[in-house]
Amino acid sequence: MRVVVVGGGWAGCAAALQAKKCGADVILIERTDMLLGLGNVGGIMRNNGRYTAAEELIALGADDLFNIIEKCTRHKNIDFPGHKHADLYDVTIIEANVRRYLLSLGVDIKFETRAVDVDIEKNHINAIYLQDGQRIEGDVYIETTGSTGPMGNCIRYGKGCSMCILRCPSYGPRVSLSQRAGVEDILGMRDDGVFGAMSGSCKLDKNSLSEEIRKELDEKGVYITDVPEEDIHPEKLKMKVCQQYALKDFAEKVILLDTGHAKLMTSYYPLENLRKLKGFENVRFIDPYAGGRANSIRYLSMAPRDNTMKVVGLDNLFVGGEKSGLFVGHTEAIATGTLAGYNAVRSVMGLKCIELPPTLAVGDIIKYENEGKNNKNGLTKRYTFAGSEYFERMKNLGLYTTDIEEIRRKVKKLLIDGIFKEKLI
Amino acid sequence: MYRFVECIDAGSDFCPCHLAEKGECIICSQLQNKVFCDCLYWKGTCIYQELLNNGNKAKKNREYKKFDIVSINKIRDDLHLYEVKLTNYLVRELDNFGAFVFIKRPQHPDYFGTPISIMDVDYEKSTVTMLIKIHGVKTKDIVECSENIMLKGPYWNGIQGQRFLRNLKDTNVLILGRGVAASPGVLATRRLKINGNNIKVMLDKGRSQENACTLYYKKYGADVENINIINYKTKNLTDDFVDKIDDLINKEEVPVILTAGDDDFNRLIINYIYKRNNKIYFASVNNHIMCCGEGVCGSCQIKLSGKYIRSCKQQYNPIEYYLMEDGNR
Ligand SMILES: Cc1cc2nc3c(=O)[nH]c(=O)nc-3n(C[C@H](O)[C@H](O)[C@H](O)COP(=O)(O)OP(=O)(O)OC[C@H]3O[C@@H](n4cnc5c(N)ncnc54)[C@H](O)[C@@H]3O)c2cc1C
Ligand SMILES: Cc1cc2nc3c(=O)[nH]c(=O)nc-3n(C[C@H](O)[C@H](O)[C@H](O)COP(=O)(O)OP(=O)(O)OC[C@H]3O[C@@H](n4cnc5c(N)ncnc54)[C@H](O)[C@@H]3O)c2cc1C
Ligand code: FES
Repeated sequence: MRVVVVGGGWAGCAAALQAKKCGADVILIERTDMLLGLGNVGGIMRNNGRYTAAEELIALGADDLFNIIEKCTRHKNIDFPGHKHADLYDVTIIEANVRRYLLSLGVDIKFETRAVDVDIEKNHINAIYLQDGQRIEGDVYIETTGSTGPMGNCIRYGKGCSMCILRCPSYGPRVSLSQRAGVEDILGMRDDGVFGAMSGSCKLDKNSLSEEIRKELDEKGVYITDVPEEDIHPEKLKMKVCQQYALKDFAEKVILLDTGHAKLMTSYYPLENLRKLKGFENVRFIDPYAGGRANSIRYLSMAPRDNTMKVVGLDNLFVGGEKSGLFVGHTEAIATGTLAGYNAVRSVMGLKCIELPPTLAVGDIIKYENEGKNNKNGLTKRYTFAGSEYFERMKNLGLYTTDIEEIRRKVKKLLIDGIFKEKLI
Repeated sequence: MYRFVECIDAGSDFCPCHLAEKGECIICSQLQNKVFCDCLYWKGTCIYQELLNNGNKAKKNREYKKFDIVSINKIRDDLHLYEVKLTNYLVRELDNFGAFVFIKRPQHPDYFGTPISIMDVDYEKSTVTMLIKIHGVKTKDIVECSENIMLKGPYWNGIQGQRFLRNLKDTNVLILGRGVAASPGVLATRRLKINGNNIKVMLDKGRSQENACTLYYKKYGADVENINIINYKTKNLTDDFVDKIDDLINKEEVPVILTAGDDDFNRLIINYIYKRNNKIYFASVNNHIMCCGEGVCGSCQIKLSGKYIRSCKQQYNPIEYYLMEDGNR
């Protein structure tokens, strides 16, 4: 059985890994020269409800990626405004570690290879086409192309291309394969009714910060200072993808997190203004390169799906990560990607695809997001274990816990402990 | 079948063009009055961004300029070889697959302009060579030029299916040509040889013993053979050619074939070979009637899979064009 995964972000890596663990031959197609996509510029794990979700996935048998992340973690168990017990992985080394792992398992990764079209017959995808016309055939396909950009969307709905990690000019734009297959994309919105949302953080070159700030980042993982009065723009929060960080604190404070670079928890802070802050006199942006001016636009390309992660209206296309909904986060991408990889294999074997139980946060979010997408209000929401409305829901439903033993017991009682370790073929 | 949409000018000095300005861009969905990205073919630039950066205006079109004729060689009464001195910029830009120019006689109106392929380039002399076959009013008018000529360019859509040629390395390529349409194959040979490809050429003898491009193909190291390919009375491939081509595609790996003849020639050959080996990719010379070359006038319009396209700017898969029944167009 051949599984073709398109897009090597966290969701695509998780899907490819899971399909491989199930016993399939897996080919992973990535348009850039690196895996992990936006995962190369993130780093925050286990903050708030993500802790629970990570432990649920581990109990379900999807521990591989979390083990690698653990190995690449710079800071453990840190707090910052609105967020508790976060881990920060080192974005400068994570990609190579994940890449080595997938290669060691025999995942066939094709870098600098961009999928551009599908060959479809009725509701069945026969093959995908690459930009150079090459045809790639599989039994089942998983689209994890994310939702970022491409350039034209960042222009129309943002402030132009900011030269983010996805590097569209060099590698060509994201393509919505589900849309090419005739299934119309769903579009996320902002509070103000505009489509899309802007990424809410960026990275500063740590070496360009003062020694004092660097030291604090190295020791504590966090550095916080006040935003000068004239630079407070609470309206920027409305544009933000990351509603978990769209708190007043994030408009009034400069918050830096140490992920190898200094992660600045706000978008497009003009360089001139940023340099006025004490210790920031020499500062420069490292991602996006034009971070003082703009940031990437996301959530303009979601495929309608069921709760097994299969695309509605197509027989053999599954989705994960931002492609599959208004999910924000690495943990969210790993959860949805893993399920997509697992069910893709089951579907080819003629087995029934599974849904994760709503008594687990990872199951509930997949279901809840799908319901939310059906109305306009829901389309302005983002779904993450880490904050905003969904974390509230987790707490209300009693899904949030940091008690690892309790999570393991719960998963065991559901008789699904270790399912993601089972070889199906 | 693999269908694709590509604009030959996308990302060039002439992009964005008037089509983009008017919401008719071939590639960019944002410039087709849609409001989301669905880029059909990426060539390294975002056309939407280029248009905004250019103040929502098209870039300047190519314009006629006067150039000196260096030499004229009358190979036959109706076949003239012109060497024209151009700017370095033009020579460089015309050293590409499918390059052509529009030429006309000085003082004559623009509708005398005729598309003519570049057969060869010479960087040292800063010249290009073109082979012109006299057909009707425009070509008769052109061959009256002896000192200088009006020329506009560069245009590149003289070969369809260029994507199958561009990135080839150390590969066997077969070129099948007839008449003056074989001339763009010479420049293609030059480009392909630079990448170490192995070029075999079969040229239809037609009325002569040898196609006029033969020496030029040889100059670039192609293995050239002049045979009878088509019997134009019966509109069939000759037995001799059929034997040779069967032998070739059975014995050797020929992943790409360039057909460089008129439409009947290209159609007969592509249909014959594709039915025997559908793994072979085809490129073919572009024979559509052209007037402006800018995707505006519509004279080059053809119907492809139910849609009208402007063939002076848009690339298509020759299989898609030639395999279809005429009624389907
Ligand atoms: C600046 C920033 C900081 C963030 N910080 C955090 C954080 O600290 N913690 C957290 O949990 N989340 C964070 N997020 C969110 C999180 O990174 C994303 O939600 C998640 O990683 C999305 O993963 P994905 O796999 O769905 O998509 P992506 O990461 O976008 O991956 C999609 C991949 O598909 C590839 N692709 C696209 N089209 C094609 C094609 N046609 N052919 C081949 N390949 C293709 C892309 O190149 C890319 O590698 C951050 C996001 C941003 C932008
Ligand atoms: C991209 C391209 C490259 C070409 N390269 C060469 C070349 O290198 N050498 C060469 O001799 N000829 C070439 N031609 C063909 C040449 O342009 C025509 O033969 C010429 O325009 C005929 O004009 P006319 O007034 O002399 O004849 P007409 O009386 O107009 O027509 C005579 C014949 O030529 C065809 N034709 C007429 N006008 C055009 C036109 N604008 N475009 C295409 N075909 C036309 C007609 O279908 C007819 O069969 C090329 C055509 C194209 C499209
Ligand atoms: S020649 Fe005018 S539109 Fe093509």
